[in-house]
Amino acid sequence: MASQVLLQQALFAPKLSFPSSSRNVALISRVPSTPISWRCTPLIAKPSFVVRADTNLDGGGEATEDVPSDNAEKVSEGEAEQVSDSEAPKSPRKPRVKLGDIMGILNQRAIEASEKQRPTPDIRTGDIVEIKLEVPENKRRLSIYKGIVISKQNAGIHTTIRIRRIIAGTGVEIVFPVYSPNIKEIKVVSHRKVRRARLYYLRDKLPRFSTFK
Amino acid sequence: MSILSVPSPTQRCSISISRLPLPLPLPFQLQVRRRAKGGKVVMSMEAGIGVMGTKLGMMSYFESDGEVVPVTVVGFKEGNIVTQIKTEATDGYDAVQVGYRRVRDRKLTKPEMGHLHKVGAIPMRHLQEFRLQAIDGFDLNQRLLFDETFKEGDLVDVSGTTIGKGFQGGIKRHNFKRGPMTHGSKSHRQLGSIGAGTTPGRVYKGKKMPGRMGGTKRKIRKLKIVKIDKDLNVLMIKGALPGKPGNLLRITPAKIVGKNIPKN
Repeated sequence: MASQVLLQQALFAPKLSFPSSSRNVALISRVPSTPISWRCTPLIAKPSFVVRADTNLDGGGEATEDVPSDNAEKVSEGEAEQVSDSEAPKSPRKPRVKLGDIMGILNQRAIEASEKQRPTPDIRTGDIVEIKLEVPENKRRLSIYKGIVISKQNAGIHTTIRIRRIIAGTGVEIVFPVYSPNIKEIKVVSHRKVRRARLYYLRDKLPRFSTFK
Repeated sequence: MSILSVPSPTQRCSISISRLPLPLPLPFQLQVRRRAKGGKVVMSMEAGIGVMGTKLGMMSYFESDGEVVPVTVVGFKEGNIVTQIKTEATDGYDAVQVGYRRVRDRKLTKPEMGHLHKVGAIPMRHLQEFRLQAIDGFDLNQRLLFDETFKEGDLVDVSGTTIGKGFQGGIKRHNFKRGPMTHGSKSHRQLGSIGAGTTPGRVYKGKKMPGRMGGTKRKIRKLKIVKIDKDLNVLMIKGALPGKPGNLLRITPAKIVGKNIPKN
């Protein structure tokens, strides 16, 4: 008998906690408080009514579940209305160049002009690139540089990449401005999977990681 | 005409003219008159009318031959309008006063508003004078356009307020060197001695000492105009200019003695 009573209490406790929270939600949303309080007292008084309480609790849960979906729909409708309202006045506005945006515009224009002269591929750290550079003093021959991109500095028209390569047993790093008119061609030969934005660790690594055919 | 009418200027002028071997054109005679009158050379004259602008920032500019030029971009807000013309007769010197940067009426004082309203100009915050050798060809409420005043390749002087750095020591302010770091020394960043002992008995004037650094007016001379953009209304000047982006800049033609500034 005592063990049975304990078992009943153990079962009763978690059910009480869960239904109470759901009922509180129901309270906040719609259902009046009086019937709930009326139903609570017989649950505590008579354990024989446990079965009925379970069925009622399930029904209450379902009822509460319906309510938030309605609220969500209303909220979404409100958002749609707000979006439509904000869109309307934007269209008749005239575009005006602000003084603070001029630097960005100038850089963008310079990059676009450079792209017209010579298209630039999307260069990332870890790319193995081949660059053909025209030295101003020696315009007849193009110097070819090949290496792995170990870093990239984004600075508008003055974006630069640092290329590393082992030549004759010596590590060589050269910085190239990507949009310079002296660079006649940039080709991405292949790409290595890297997990850093700066590959400075290659300086301390074995030479074969910076060697290319 | 005016010289001849007044007797004493006539005498001075005649004296100076007699010294010179050859007859000179009229502008030079005017310069001579100015020199003789004051007895000193006026050094604050400008080589030509200038404009005021707003510093926007720095960027790189690639020349067609691949050379990279560091340029400063200068933008122009509404303004650069002649607000007053001062003459020798009325004010004692020749100058053109220019206003820059339109603001709301409430931002200006009543005397300023009255001054601008007299010539029918818009309310502008910055009023600056350009002392010129000849103020012909300027009208009140005339708008000065930077692309008419300057062209690509011109040399300009640019002045502005430098970045303020607060109260700084000698190392930062005057590039002093540090004191001993070891051997028990305690004077790492200090001045050391500020002069001799009994004999002068004082610190010389002009001794470099800690003090407030930056926030002063600075002129950078003979910078080249790399590019003029009429679409965005900007000027690209080679090199660095004083101050932060957003600073007021005063851009005038470069003074080159013997070329656009008289050699005395």
